[in-house]
Amino acid sequence: MKRLLIVDDAMFMRSTLKMMLRNQGFEVVGEAQNGIEAIRQYKSLKPDIVTMDIHMPEMGGLDALGEILKMDPKAKVVMITAAGDQKHVMDAMQLGAKNFIVKPFTEEKVIKVMNSI
Amino acid sequence: MSTHDPMMEMYLFETNQLLNRLEQLCMDAERKQDISEEIPEIFRIMHTIKGNSMMMLLEDIGKVAHRIEDLFDKLDDISLSSAAIETIIDYNFEAIDFFKREMNKLELGGKADGSSFDLVQKIEAFLESISNGEKPMVPPVSSDQKYFIPPSDNQTSFIASEQATPDAYFARLFFDDDAQMENVRAFTIVHNLKDKAEDIVYFPEDIVENEGSIDKIKEDGFFILFKTSESQEEIHQYFSNLAYINNQEVNLIEDQDYDSILQDLKPKEEVVQAEPVASPPKVEEVSTVGASKQNFISVDVQRVDQLMDLVGELVVAESMVVNNPDLLGLKLNNFDKASRQLRLVINELQDIIMSVRMVPLSMTFQKMSRIVRDMKKKVNKPVELELVGEETEVDKNVIEKIGDPLMHIIRNAMDHGIEDPASRLEAGKDEVGKITLSASHVGGDVVISIKDDGKGLDKERIYDKAFEKGLITKPMDACSDQEIYQMIMNAGFSTKVEVTEFSGRGVGMDVVAKNIESLGGAIQINSEKGVGSEITILIPLTLAIVDGMMIRVADTIFTLPIMSVKESFIVSQDEVISNSDGQEMVMIRGTCYPVIRLDKHYDIKGSHLDHEGIFVMIEHDDEQVLLFADELVGEQQVVVKSLSKYIKKVKGISGFALLGDGQISMILDPSGFMMA
Amino acid sequence: MNTLQDEIQEIKDGMDFDAEKYLTFSIGNDKYGMDIKFIEDIIGVQKITSVPNQPDHLKGVINLRGIIIPVIDIRVRLNKELRAYDDRTCIIVVNMEDASVGIVVDTVLEVVSIEDKNIANPPSYDQEGDNQYMKGIGKFKDDVIIIVDCYALISES
Repeated sequence: MKRLLIVDDAMFMRSTLKMMLRNQGFEVVGEAQNGIEAIRQYKSLKPDIVTMDIHMPEMGGLDALGEILKMDPKAKVVMITAAGDQKHVMDAMQLGAKNFIVKPFTEEKVIKVMNSI
Repeated sequence: MSTHDPMMEMYLFETNQLLNRLEQLCMDAERKQDISEEIPEIFRIMHTIKGNSMMMLLEDIGKVAHRIEDLFDKLDDISLSSAAIETIIDYNFEAIDFFKREMNKLELGGKADGSSFDLVQKIEAFLESISNGEKPMVPPVSSDQKYFIPPSDNQTSFIASEQATPDAYFARLFFDDDAQMENVRAFTIVHNLKDKAEDIVYFPEDIVENEGSIDKIKEDGFFILFKTSESQEEIHQYFSNLAYINNQEVNLIEDQDYDSILQDLKPKEEVVQAEPVASPPKVEEVSTVGASKQNFISVDVQRVDQLMDLVGELVVAESMVVNNPDLLGLKLNNFDKASRQLRLVINELQDIIMSVRMVPLSMTFQKMSRIVRDMKKKVNKPVELELVGEETEVDKNVIEKIGDPLMHIIRNAMDHGIEDPASRLEAGKDEVGKITLSASHVGGDVVISIKDDGKGLDKERIYDKAFEKGLITKPMDACSDQEIYQMIMNAGFSTKVEVTEFSGRGVGMDVVAKNIESLGGAIQINSEKGVGSEITILIPLTLAIVDGMMIRVADTIFTLPIMSVKESFIVSQDEVISNSDGQEMVMIRGTCYPVIRLDKHYDIKGSHLDHEGIFVMIEHDDEQVLLFADELVGEQQVVVKSLSKYIKKVKGISGFALLGDGQISMILDPSGFMMA
Repeated sequence: MNTLQDEIQEIKDGMDFDAEKYLTFSIGNDKYGMDIKFIEDIIGVQKITSVPNQPDHLKGVINLRGIIIPVIDIRVRLNKELRAYDDRTCIIVVNMEDASVGIVVDTVLEVVSIEDKNIANPPSYDQEGDNQYMKGIGKFKDDVIIIVDCYALISES
């Protein structure tokens, strides 16, 4: 059972991901609404994978990604992005994110990406 | 209400929350005639709505949100004229309305089929017009970032599954049609591949900085040349497992072919650059401005209702224990103490549970602000809305039902009450009309008042019309002002000569009255010609639990709300006198009070009221009557259960209560016994 | 010897919600049937608290596990003389349009399947009389079962 931390400021997105991944071998061990919370949660929960939204208040996904990788260079982070957000996604990949998922996404896609990490 | 799947429920919930916040921000911006403070949050809200809506495959909603997001993305760098600011705010309101309409359709189980075309066009056109001449925001990407692969621990090592020398492979990959951002995808693959392989060369190689590479990848595929110790089978499997890949070809390359392929790909000497990561790229951060930071959790309303029911049952159960017939006549000091303690705890629990369902009126009041704003333009009158007491809390179901009545009353006030600016100036009033919407708790009620400084109601005209329609038969001076004003709440009554789009159709006020009634409330109307009108709505705070006094009439137990009981007496039969109408009365301390014999009143057989009984004085609205019953049974807290719809409403009975011993008692409503 | 409770339990156990199943009950010598899809519960008769100013058939209310439910007497509806309640008298609780109502009957019998083709339309004359509560005349084995219209029974007259 892979342990998952979901980071997104939209309640809707968090619950959608939760629903999609619940019975697929993933256990959602935590949720965060912004980068700061994400870092805190990562520190205490040490999840296997993190899904990270890019645009969030307080601290965005890219900064949080950076901090998490600094803490744990082996961290596995998947970025969740809206279409057309080229620059940010590329930056994230260069920083060290493992993969990215584009909204809107289907359950199939999410599961495949998550399993491939 | 149709139940939706959980995703839709969540989507509607969050979107509605966001829309409310968005509206507030826009109203704030409009008031200040400046949008700079609100830009970041509006941007973020639109971004979220866009994302959520696209997940739900609601394209039109997503498009509108996207356009506004684009618009707001640009705003930071541009100085805006006040006309531009106004337009932007207007477009936002239009978008909000569009979203609200679509949400409504979805809530009712329908499809969000509204077209975004017009609105999107407008916003795009506006966006273009303000961006012309704007200096580019994004600095050109530096061109030394080719072959950029961030360092990681296994940058130079590779996974050696066997201790064999690595083989070279040449792969060609095609992505799914809906993969999106193929260049970034390609980069991702390369990036992840370095865990397994080395000497990675790929084509097109400008995937990082050139979005044009996307087309090349889509057409010809993405080529990678690499060396790995993993078997071809393993590599093949690896690519298969990667998401978004449609098609792949992986070929083992012999040493002699390696160099030529390398040359074909791109005549570049360096293969892989390991450049240290520059400091993390600066991301546009969006900070929240003024988002309320309160600790809330969202709870299913059903659960709250269940909780309330349980607390109600707890009260009954407590009664059943404390008032148990088994304990009758026993002196139990310790038990009494303990049960008092129990009562205290349950009371507190009760209070808190009641408050859980209580919601402040602020959201509703804010909606009214919006209505006034829209109406101002339509009726061409400047009007200022003052809100007082918006933090006043009411039960959740009141919030749901109070919106429409308030809306109608305010529209009325703006359409008919407030005069046009010229007339106002003539009358010596301020040009800007004023409407005050206030709420407060008074006693056990919520009092909501809508006051305007318009021209007031025309008493004569209302009387004439009511008289015409046969609604009033007595002469005008025999009627109280209230009576005449209340006529406007009769169905089909409207003195407005032309029916305007918003009110005056005669359908409004009577529906308002019905709505308020269904909440158990009442409406009072006060007005002074030339000065203004005030409509006051009183709604009882939902008291599902009542402190009651039980009285028995033959076999029937009635419950009186203790608040309405003034005194009780034993009066001998010869003190009961009758007046000329046959109405029985009793003189107490110099005042005569009418008597209502409950057994006769409700046709209950088997009581001994001719010989003995008890008089209970009840009060409502400064009026008192005496109820005649067999005996007082006791005091108890009871849970009010409303009348089933199959039971005909009976005057004087407001509901049922379950007593401690499981018996059913009818709750009397004092107002139903008053004579006036 | 089965108690009423045992019988009621047996009936409830047999109530899987297939179409065309009816709960039969007796009023005097006649057998009546009610579509089980509306039936929420069956209980032995209990104290009915009367409510003033109600139509004749509405006898009052009962406390069913903390919920207050109005109760009608079917004999009043069918214009039959009233009968004293005894230890076999039952209340059939039906739920229509989200509201529950109890119907007092002499006693309940069993759940039977009657196919639509075995139900004849009620006689068309006298639609205002007792027949307004009749949905059809069913035949089960050798018995004639009068199928009642629940909705009409509990609605305002």
